[in-house]
Amino acid sequence: MKYLLILLMICTAPLLALDADAIIKKIEDNFRGDNAYMKFEMTVETARHKRTMKIESWSEGKENSFMRILYPPREQGITFLKLNNQLWQYVPKIERTIKIPPSMMLQSWMGSDFTNDDLVKESSLEDDYDAGLLEHNGTHATIELLPKPDAAVVWGKIVMEVDVPNAVPLQAVYYDDEGAPVRTLTYRASKTFDGHNLPTVWEVRPQDEAKKDHRTVIRVEAAQFDHGVPSSYFSKSALKRYSR
Amino acid sequence: MWRLALKNITHYRGRTVTTAGLSFITTLFFIIYVAFMDGAHENMLHDTLKIYNAPIHIDDARYRDKGGFDYLLNDVEGVRKTAAATAHVTAVSARLESYALLSGPRESAGAMLTGIEPDNERRLSLLDKALQSGRYLRKDDTNALYLGEELARRLQVGLGDEVAFIGSAVDGSFAAELFTVVGIFKTGLYEFDASAAFVNKAWFDDVMRSRNMASYLAVNVDDLSRVDAVTAALNAQLHSPREAVSWKTLMHALVQAMEVDSLFGYISLGLFLIVIFFVIMIYGFLNLSTRMREFGVLRALGVRSEQIRQLVVYEALLLCLPPIVLAAVMGYGIAGYYELHPIVIEGMAEAYKEYGIVSDTIPMRCDLFTISWNALTVFGLNLLSIVYPLYYVKGFTPVEAMRHV
Repeated sequence: MKYLLILLMICTAPLLALDADAIIKKIEDNFRGDNAYMKFEMTVETARHKRTMKIESWSEGKENSFMRILYPPREQGITFLKLNNQLWQYVPKIERTIKIPPSMMLQSWMGSDFTNDDLVKESSLEDDYDAGLLEHNGTHATIELLPKPDAAVVWGKIVMEVDVPNAVPLQAVYYDDEGAPVRTLTYRASKTFDGHNLPTVWEVRPQDEAKKDHRTVIRVEAAQFDHGVPSSYFSKSALKRYSR
Repeated sequence: MWRLALKNITHYRGRTVTTAGLSFITTLFFIIYVAFMDGAHENMLHDTLKIYNAPIHIDDARYRDKGGFDYLLNDVEGVRKTAAATAHVTAVSARLESYALLSGPRESAGAMLTGIEPDNERRLSLLDKALQSGRYLRKDDTNALYLGEELARRLQVGLGDEVAFIGSAVDGSFAAELFTVVGIFKTGLYEFDASAAFVNKAWFDDVMRSRNMASYLAVNVDDLSRVDAVTAALNAQLHSPREAVSWKTLMHALVQAMEVDSLFGYISLGLFLIVIFFVIMIYGFLNLSTRMREFGVLRALGVRSEQIRQLVVYEALLLCLPPIVLAAVMGYGIAGYYELHPIVIEGMAEAYKEYGIVSDTIPMRCDLFTISWNALTVFGLNLLSIVYPLYYVKGFTPVEAMRHV
């Protein structure tokens, strides 16, 4: 009987892993579509200040995306372009297109609790991590994502709680290489856009004691999936052209 | 007994010359070695402090642990007045440090961009002296950038080139500017030269929205040995969470490195002193053992055992005191001279500057307390060296001593 149980566990383990991979793929497909447009508001709170920005973004597959800052006036017209794993930025004030170097990837993006690396690696969970199912309780699952041996990623581990039927994450805790939690990303208020379930409130809270008063909240105002995005958005010349 | 001791040391010239000579050489070597070691450490400290770090920082206590713009120092002008009015403070300069992206026409790199007060900075750092090409910053500069040579190499920029700055302002908003490279410096501290860039704070405050704010105030003092007292005086006037912190806390790693270096220095010196101790002891022992018949006769004539011991101690004092005192005086003179006139490695100044080394001098440190304990250590070893010979002499009766061969 004991051996039968062990055999059963060995045989079902790959199935559980497959389930986890399938869930992650489903979430990424749900978030991404073939192409997507999104308009959102990002509020950044620190111990001293609170700022709100309005941003719109266009994406195509998992490799290409383009973003433009709409508000506030001081930052209006700043554009970001992600092509494969590289990130460029155009700043109208100084009329310069700048490639973000690897040394700056972990720096804050626009003063928020997101990093430049988050923009570059936003769609790489499926490619860069091995998913394992920690718990599956009815419609909810807890998935542990561990970096693949050759993956160039910054997180030591990601633990994600997922609403499986709707293919949306509820919460993701990001850990460093030493297993310490670095930040928590909470997703709320899911809505359906063009058949895609999308949380409309994303809240990041750093776990670092030094940033205990920080939080960044993204509120999705509009989203369109699979309506088509002109390929002209995904070239370096677009950075300046679509800045205004 | 003193006269007899004096007569004995003039009679046993071999022992006298050896013991006195060794005591003199050991004391002088000890004093000069320690003066060089302390001088080198002080020089290293001065260079490190002078290049960019300052003896004292005044900051928000949370800034040092957590960093970032959440814990900047507010009311910089008010704190500056307080600091400047404190005794022994010679200069106060505000700095605003920001980790930012600098981008040349071809290459980009992360850098520590710091807004400084060019004139005040001259009085507490060697940034202006480290200039390699171009010019140092001026108080009315606007978009002028003064950056490290290695950082300039990474960005592939030279004098007159434009460098874009992208970062976050103090309020978290986006900050971007175009700078023109006006000067390139080289301190010899590789990491510093590869990551540091400076602009005029008065202008940078508008870009960063940091008027009357700073990461910290750098404070210079007239004498480094007063730094603890000045730090305490500043802290007595500052209100929490503001605090003054001395270089001993700010540069904890350097302090530890110097302590380890001193420890190894004293271990090497200790081995040398142990050898000298045994040489003096062996000479003393041989001398006393050859004089056993003399001690036996003295005892037979009515001299007490305690008086024999007294005689040996007096001889030891006469043998070591004059050379140790002479060596201490000479050592004080030599250390004092080379403290004021450090040894300069002739012709190396230009070559050293090429490698970014700020100082080509080797100073000594002349400290009366240090010299005193150095001399007293050798004196103590001399006295210790006669303990066993005395014990050996005490073991003989007058008859055994007279028959001793």
